[in-house]
This record gives sequence, C-alpha cells and structure tokens, in this order.
Amino acid sequence: MDRRTFVKATGVAGIAGLAGCTGGGPSDGDGGDNSGDSSGDSGGDSSGDSGSDETTTESGSGDPAANIGMVYATGGLGDGSFNDQAQQGALQAEEELGISFNEAQPDEVAEFSTFQQQFAQSTDPNYDLVCTIGFLQADALTENAEEYPDQNFMLVDSVVDAPNVDNYVFAEHEGSYLGGLMASLLTTQDFSAGAGSTDTESTSLGFVGGVESDLIRKFEAGFVAGAEAGNSDVEVSTNYVGDFNDPAGGREAATAMYNDGADIVYHAAGNTGAGVFQAAQEEGRFAIGVDRDQSLTQESYADVILASMVKRVDTAVYGAIESVVEDDFEGGDTIELGLDQDGVALVYGDQIGSEVPDDVADEVATAREDIIAGDIDVPTSPQ
Amino acid sequence: MSVRDRGRAVLERLVGASATERILISTAALVLSILVGAVLVLIAGRMTTCTANEAVYYFGTGFCYDPIVVFDRLFLGALGDPFSGGWSPDGQFSVTLRETTLLLFTGLSVALAFRAGIFNIGTQGQMVVGALATALGVLWVSPLVSGVVGTVLLVPFGIVVGAVFGGLYGAIPGLLKAYADANEVITTIMLNFIATGVALYLVSGAFKDPESAANQTVPLPEYAQFPTVLFGGRQDFSLIALAFGILAIGGLYYLLEHTAFGYDVRTSGIQPDAAEYGGVDAARTIVASLTLSGALGGIAGAMYVMMVLGTFQTGFPDYGFDGITVSILAGNNPLGVGIAALLFGVLKSGTTVVQFATDVPPQLVGVLRGLIILFVAMPEFFRLIGKRVTDAGSKPVATDGGRPGGEDDE
Repeated sequence: MDRRTFVKATGVAGIAGLAGCTGGGPSDGDGGDNSGDSSGDSGGDSSGDSGSDETTTESGSGDPAANIGMVYATGGLGDGSFNDQAQQGALQAEEELGISFNEAQPDEVAEFSTFQQQFAQSTDPNYDLVCTIGFLQADALTENAEEYPDQNFMLVDSVVDAPNVDNYVFAEHEGSYLGGLMASLLTTQDFSAGAGSTDTESTSLGFVGGVESDLIRKFEAGFVAGAEAGNSDVEVSTNYVGDFNDPAGGREAATAMYNDGADIVYHAAGNTGAGVFQAAQEEGRFAIGVDRDQSLTQESYADVILASMVKRVDTAVYGAIESVVEDDFEGGDTIELGLDQDGVALVYGDQIGSEVPDDVADEVATAREDIIAGDIDVPTSPQ
Repeated sequence: MSVRDRGRAVLERLVGASATERILISTAALVLSILVGAVLVLIAGRMTTCTANEAVYYFGTGFCYDPIVVFDRLFLGALGDPFSGGWSPDGQFSVTLRETTLLLFTGLSVALAFRAGIFNIGTQGQMVVGALATALGVLWVSPLVSGVVGTVLLVPFGIVVGAVFGGLYGAIPGLLKAYADANEVITTIMLNFIATGVALYLVSGAFKDPESAANQTVPLPEYAQFPTVLFGGRQDFSLIALAFGILAIGGLYYLLEHTAFGYDVRTSGIQPDAAEYGGVDAARTIVASLTLSGALGGIAGAMYVMMVLGTFQTGFPDYGFDGITVSILAGNNPLGVGIAALLFGVLKSGTTVVQFATDVPPQLVGVLRGLIILFVAMPEFFRLIGKRVTDAGSKPVATDGGRPGGEDDE
C-alpha cells in the first residue's frame, strides 16, 4: 500500500497515544510498542483490535501465523547477496504463510548475543522462531540456546548441538564445482557474449574471496576442483581481499587476474564482488556471481555475469519458518542443503547465460547428476 | 558591530563560561540535537511506506516512524527502562556499561597521546595486538592454575600481557617519531593495517581454534575470564572491569596533573620547543606517552577478550576509532572521558534497542547518533578555538595596525 492511500484511508485516527498508538493492531507484530503496553490501548485504531491485553496470543482476524525474529550476519541488509537472500526467505514466508517478522542487523560480533536474547526474552510478541544467519553467531547461540531452552532457533552455515536449534548448512563446494567446470570449459575455447570474450591464448581463471575462513575456502576448493576436472591445464589464481565490503579491493584483485590472462573470475566476497564485476566489464572478460542470481541483483553488470552460484539461504529460512508454522519444528537437526535439494545451484546469467554453448551446459548438467549420485567427490578444502 | 567582532565576542563568552554554564550549554545542545533528529525521523517516516495501523499521527499527518519512541528506546532502553518498573541490572543496562568500559580505555589511550601533542590513530591496532597477546598468553598459562585462584591470577596477568604488548606496539610509532621524525598519524594508521593483517594470519593459521568455523583462538576457560559481580553475567559485563576503568581514569588524571612526567607530557603538548628549552627530554616523552597510550589500548583489547568474547576473533570492533571521538568529546580530559564514554555507551547500546523495537533502519539511527555527538562536541570545540583566538587577539599585534581588535581587512 503506498503512502498516500494509507494516509487517506486512515483518516482521523487521532494522536491519542503519542508514544504507543501502534499497539495491538491486527497486522502489527513488530514489538515496537513497549510503551503501549503499560498504557493499555492508547491507539485510535478501529475495529478488529484485540485491545492490547498483553496476552501473547492475540485474537483478531489478521493475526500472524507465527512471529519470527531475524538476526542477520554483520554487514547487514543491502549486501546484494547473503543477508538479502535470507530476508527473501522471510518475505516469502510473510506472503505465503502469513507470518510476521522483525529484523535486527548487528554491527559486530558482541551484538549477536544481545539480539538473540532480546528476541528470546520478548513476550510481546512471543517469537516462535529466531533465525540466526551466519556462522559467527554459533558461539553466542550455543550459550543462548541453553539459556532459553523453550525458544526455537535456526542457524545458517554452522552447527550448534542443542535440542532447540535446527541447523542449516550448505554444500557450497558442490555448486562452486559446477562454476569451476563451466569456467574451465569456456576458457579453453573461443567464446564471446555480451561485453566479454575469452582470451584464447591463455587458459587461466581467478577466484576472489572475502575474508579467508573455512567457509570461503569451501567455495575456493569446489571451484578449483571443478576447473581441474574441466581441463587439467587450467590454472586458478586465488586472492583473498580481507573484507566482504570492499568493492575497490575486489576490483584491484580481479583486474590483476584479468591482466594476467584470467578469462573468468569467480567471487565469494559479498559486496566486494561488485568490484570484480566492474573489473570484468572494464577488461571485457567474464565473472561468476555468488549467493544470489547476481545478473538480476546487480543488473548493470549483467553483460559480464555468465552465471551465479546460488546459495538458497532463503530456502533454509523459509523451510524453518514453515516447520514452525506447521508445528513440526523438531530441533536438534542438521539439514544439509546440496545440489540435490536445490540448496545450491549454478544459475546461468539472465542476459548472457543463454549463450553458453550447449555442450558446456550439458557437461555441467551431467556433473551435477554425478555429484548427486555420489560419483564425483568434491573436496571441501583446497588441496 | 561587524560580524567578526560579534563572532569574537561569542567566542570570548564561551571561553569565559563557568562550569554550570558549560553543563547548561551541553544540555541545551543535547536537547537541540534531539529536536533536529526528531524532525529527521519524521521526514524519513514520510518517505517510507507502512500499513495504516503501524503509523503514528502528529498534526493530523501520518508518519511511519515515531520520534518519541525512537528517542525513548535510544536513551531509556539503553538504561534498561528505569522508569517502567521491572528494571533489572542484568538487562540492557549491562550492555551499556560493557560498551562504556571498553570505550573508556580506548578514550583514555587517545586522550593521553593527545595531551602530549601526538595524534594516536593507532589505538585500534594497539588494542588488536593487546587482545591477541592476552588471548594467547592467558590460554598458554591457564592449564597451570584453576578455580578461584585461577581467576585471581589469570585476569590481572591477562591485563598485564595486553598492556605490555599494546604498549610495545605503541612504542614503535613513538620511536619512529622521536628518532626518525616520522609523522605519527601516518605510521599509526599503517600499523593498524599491519596489526589486523598479522592477527588474521596467525588466527586463521597457527593459532586457529580447530573446533570453530570462525577465525578465532581457542576459547579461554571460564575461570580465566572476568568474574561476574552482582550483575551483568548474561551480557558479558563485569563490574570489576568497570571499577578498573574508573581507577584508570583517576590514575591517568593524577599522572597528568600531579606528577613531573605529566607536566612534561602537558608542556610538550602545548609548546614542544618551549618544553625542550625548559629541560624536557622531547624524544623520551614522545616514546613514553605513546607507549602508555598503547598500553591503555592493549588493556581495552584484553578486556574485550576476557570479558566479552572469551576468545580473540578477527573482525575486531572499532573501539579504537570510537576512542578518538570519545577523547575529543571529552576535550582530552581524563575525567571527561568517563562521561563521554558513558554517552557513547548509551548511544551504542541504545542503537540495538531501537533496532529491535522499531522499524527504523539502523542507518538512520546512526545519523541520530552522529547528530547528538556533533551537537554536544561543538560548543567544546568552539571553546578550544576561542581560547586560541581570543588569547592571540587580546594583545595588539603589529600586522593589525597595532590597535586592539585589529582592522577589518576582509
């Protein structure tokens, strides 16, 4: 609903409750009305209002099916990849399952615990599930899961062994393998599409990582293994920029690789990856995106993004929320999302992906089947 | 009366302000910043969309964000809601004090260097080095002791290790400045990168915790961390650390104002040539004050490791850089650092409460924080300028035609 319509529609709702007039509305589940609790129903809302009885189960037609708390990874929303993808899952659940969610974007590691506790302690609304995004939250969650045994949590990218936590981990190496395979097959042939073309003289590729860690090394390992599988002559140069939010650094690293003869650079570096795309455009080469279909989210670079290794954090978030809504949240599980479950996938670019030759695409598709069948074993750490 | 004269008169008035007046001015600045911030929140609230019953209404117009709720959460929320009953010291108030404690040390670190006329931007790096040294040192000796004895021995030991290594790291730019005439602003900034880079290398390699996916050292045992006194355990806060911080304020104040070394530091800061003429060993003072400054930064790092995280993890928060603002806000006065750190702590911890309780984006809360700091710092800033301007202008100067007040040559 746009602003103008809501202003018209609400008319004279009054300014009765200066601080707390958002209280108790049907579709309001954001907990932003602490001062409204004590003053009863101060809002001028019309019918359908349950009257802010401070009961945790609100009545009324528009009650959310569940209240979800989201604690994102540092870096916050707007990163065009990881956190945005997680939010996507919550938005989808809001639309399809009728849940309501509240978000928190911590700046630093110490704030994870604070936000997890705030969600766990909150009684208005009572959060049915707290989604914690990113492996850095694991330590804080280990403590808080014990501290709040009645609160359900879900964790993405790491494992906390507690009866009230469902863990979701991804097989990033498998998806990256496909990216490496595709890149390796393309760099050895004459290929041009969109704003880029390969250099037939050289057969090398590049990988730009954010901050070096076990998780990002998984991307690297898969990519390198895939490239090797495509053609053993292909070399992959690797660079870790040391920051997930440094496009200038990403651009420098990628430019150096392109100048060295790399045709395609794959990045697992969050916002730093924007610099990789920029470099690809300047040098007339290609890049592979990560986490989301970046030919859509970074549209201006769609003419150099061959494909993206999509990591469906949204599937994980949506799945966990769905299990809570349907009352079958178990806790204590670790759900691995690989190629088989579409947790990771290689998605061809929106603009130039269709120009990838059929034989390459076929080979990638075959490799995908082989990985699912267990015929190809992708390493999780670089050799 | 020309604009210039009027400006000068205002500055003189500011310089001559009494303590009560200064407190009043600061309070007025705080109120004004809140009013400006409230207008911003309202405007931002008009520029976003929300559903009808999420909106608030002022002057018959609907807004998506409510400034009263925002500021209520920012301040009262950070203090743990003291007026609404059910105040628990274990709540958000502990987070506020935790942040205050850490900012106190980084603020003191910057303030000390400032007083010696040295701009130490390297507190961040000194803190990282101190933190890493503490995490590794304490971990190394922790198997030797345990239990209460362990706490009594290991916590002071950790602080000493952090102070020593932070101090050594601070001594590097000090030596470079004193004996090689290298600008400390450049060297400290570069040493920050080196500290972060080397720490990442060590923590992702040799000293990495094999159990964790994060780049961190093996967590310290419980008895090697700050013990919880009275409250704050759940929020990783320890009153002992805060008490230690307050002691540090007093100690630094005494050192600067009542010792020979402090006199050397202060005179070097005000007029280095005169100080040297007066017998101060300039090189030694530079090295000593940067070492002490680094030691305070290192202690901040030790506190973070032993109180907050219980391990060293890469991606260290920017307490060192915040310390610069804290110090400037406090006019580089150790006693003022305590108050400035508390204001910063409230704002930092309040930000998380606002985020949790409202839909206001964190970026907007950051703007509000910045506004408050800017408004509160400005009167003091102009006072500092005023001191210089009015001092120089109070005596007739040759270029001004020798007349008091000077000629208007603009």
